[in-house]
Amino acid sequence: MIKKLAAACALGFVLLATLATLGRAAPQESKSSKPAPEDIPPIRMIADPYPAFNGIAVDAANGVVAMSDPNRKSLLLYDRARASQGGASRGEASLPMRQIVGPDTFLGMIAGIILDPRRQEIYTANNDIEDTVVVMPYGASGNVKPARVFSVPHQAWGLALSDVADQIAVTVEVQNTIVFYRRQVKGVEAPVRIIRGPDTGLADPHGIYWDESHNEIGVANHGNFRGVVKNTGGGCAPSFVVEDDAEAGESRPPSIRIFAAGAKDDVRPLRVIQGARTGLDWPMGIAYDPQHDAIVVANNGDSSILIFGRTSNGDVAPLGVIRGDRTGISHPMGIAVDAQNGEMWVSNWGDHSALAFASGARGNVAPKRIIRSAPAGMPTPGFGNPMALAYDSKRDELLVPN
Amino acid sequence: MTQPRIAAFARLANGDVAPNRLITGQNTLLGRTIHGLAYDPTRDEIVVPNALADAVLVFRAAAAGSEHPLRVIQGPRTELVTPHAVSLDLQNREILVASLTGRRINVFRWDANGDAAPVRVIKGPKTELGHVVGLAVDPDRNLLAVANTREILIFNRRDDGDVAPRGRIAGPKTGIIDEPWQMEFYKGRIFLAASNHFHQNLYDGVTLRPEAKVVPDDPWLNPILGFMGIWNITDNGDVAPLAMIRGSFSGLIHPVGLALNPKDGEVYVSDSVRNGVLSFLVPQFFPQENPTSNPDGRQAK
Repeated sequence: MIKKLAAACALGFVLLATLATLGRAAPQESKSSKPAPEDIPPIRMIADPYPAFNGIAVDAANGVVAMSDPNRKSLLLYDRARASQGGASRGEASLPMRQIVGPDTFLGMIAGIILDPRRQEIYTANNDIEDTVVVMPYGASGNVKPARVFSVPHQAWGLALSDVADQIAVTVEVQNTIVFYRRQVKGVEAPVRIIRGPDTGLADPHGIYWDESHNEIGVANHGNFRGVVKNTGGGCAPSFVVEDDAEAGESRPPSIRIFAAGAKDDVRPLRVIQGARTGLDWPMGIAYDPQHDAIVVANNGDSSILIFGRTSNGDVAPLGVIRGDRTGISHPMGIAVDAQNGEMWVSNWGDHSALAFASGARGNVAPKRIIRSAPAGMPTPGFGNPMALAYDSKRDELLVPN
Repeated sequence: MTQPRIAAFARLANGDVAPNRLITGQNTLLGRTIHGLAYDPTRDEIVVPNALADAVLVFRAAAAGSEHPLRVIQGPRTELVTPHAVSLDLQNREILVASLTGRRINVFRWDANGDAAPVRVIKGPKTELGHVVGLAVDPDRNLLAVANTREILIFNRRDDGDVAPRGRIAGPKTGIIDEPWQMEFYKGRIFLAASNHFHQNLYDGVTLRPEAKVVPDDPWLNPILGFMGIWNITDNGDVAPLAMIRGSFSGLIHPVGLALNPKDGEVYVSDSVRNGVLSFLVPQFFPQENPTSNPDGRQAK
């Protein structure tokens, strides 16, 4: 009861604080404190006052684990090791080392996140109409301008970086494409190459990893497929050219597609993991585990982690699965491998937590450590820019999509 | 950008709450870019588009978990091109679909399934359809209202092919600046979530547009607030809303989703910046009569 009361107070404070901030920005407020007749306060509001983890990245060399938070539109950096010493195991919220948040940050509906340990930079992809990738220095905190921002096609999701190629790869959902930029990209620059076309089999790509040791790129696909040839225009912006023909869309099975790292244009993947045996169910984040020569997948749909052999191909069962009530995995979005410490990190969308497992963990195992963005048990509305609503009059329910 | 899903919340839910149930998982065939959603009380079904698979999905309304849709409208005969919003004409038993990239409105029978051809398609240069999202049908007057680019276009309900709109609500008095979003209809009135965010896409597909030189400002920080506005569907020209919800106390910044509950006198609005859903008690917005035009009913200033 006390927890609920505290939570209600916290939410009320956040809402009042944000309303007050908005009020200062609203031009009509500067004239009079008397509200305009149309300025009607809501009687209820469903919102999550806490950060919600989407992507996750870990840098063992600098002892940092970082998460993207599209709910409060922030980046959070935690001490990788101290996560075990905080109160998260007792259900308390973890204290981040830094939170980057505010109107100058360019952070919006962010999804994928990667870290560049050499240059101590954070990359995160704005997946919605911001159409940008934001680059922040590790030391950034609060409302700061990014070190760099560069434009990307609409619906960028996953990110991968290669020091060898000196390039950054970005998956683009609606275009069924991977676009590559030079690593130092800034502002408005054209991609240096793309992987796209019917032979690629890309279908609503999400997470991506770059395995420099084997010169390969792996991509997780949800299976939503538009006709590639007619696929001009952005998902949220009309094309200059009216597309007269239907695209013959398809709902394909989810897949992991492995390409040569230097691939370009309409190229066939080297290998494809796809089919009923794979257990793939909305694969989101994906990473390569060099210690076990394995591909690890955040399997959002059934709240599990799937582990495949790097050279797995076809309709194959995973080598291992982490799933069950002891794991704490709840609709995972991101996954990252810390080979130096033999760990993998998983970010949950289903609650306010990130989990560290031993990289060899299998089955229904408890995580080694937990990072929480809210006290344990706090409800999770789980919104990701809800851009439509419906009212179910029979059940007296609000239907809210992401 | 996060988890594709439909979450069902109790109407009276407030604050930091979890949904009663989720429709989510691979079997649902859902995808990102759900910019429209409709509940059909006559069949107790939910209709939702999947823009990334050129599909319209129909679920039983009580669906939960990774449940497969009852019906899937998908395939080359459907003429769907990134369908991202839907609306229902319950009286005429039709599903209306806004195809954004295709700049068209496809109309299907309400029981359409599989690779079904639409019964009508509004498309072509005369239509002026561009960034089309919200749709709302007035079955009594046989009118169709469309939230389009920077305006509301009015068509005849049975229009088909390349036809010009019969009316247009646009201009500075309307307050609609950019990308009006979800739209609902009730007794002669259009309810619109006028988001007023500025989306500047520098790419055409994955090709950088030649004129693109500078990264635009964050569209969600556009200082011109969005609002929820109401017009008569018979309005035409640069007409101010009959009534609206807007301002700092309302909590609306760039509202997008919209649903109506006339029985309880409530309007529900989702806001992209808030990443939340707000409920407003406004019984005055729901007239008992079905007026053809009510200029005197505009909100007092």
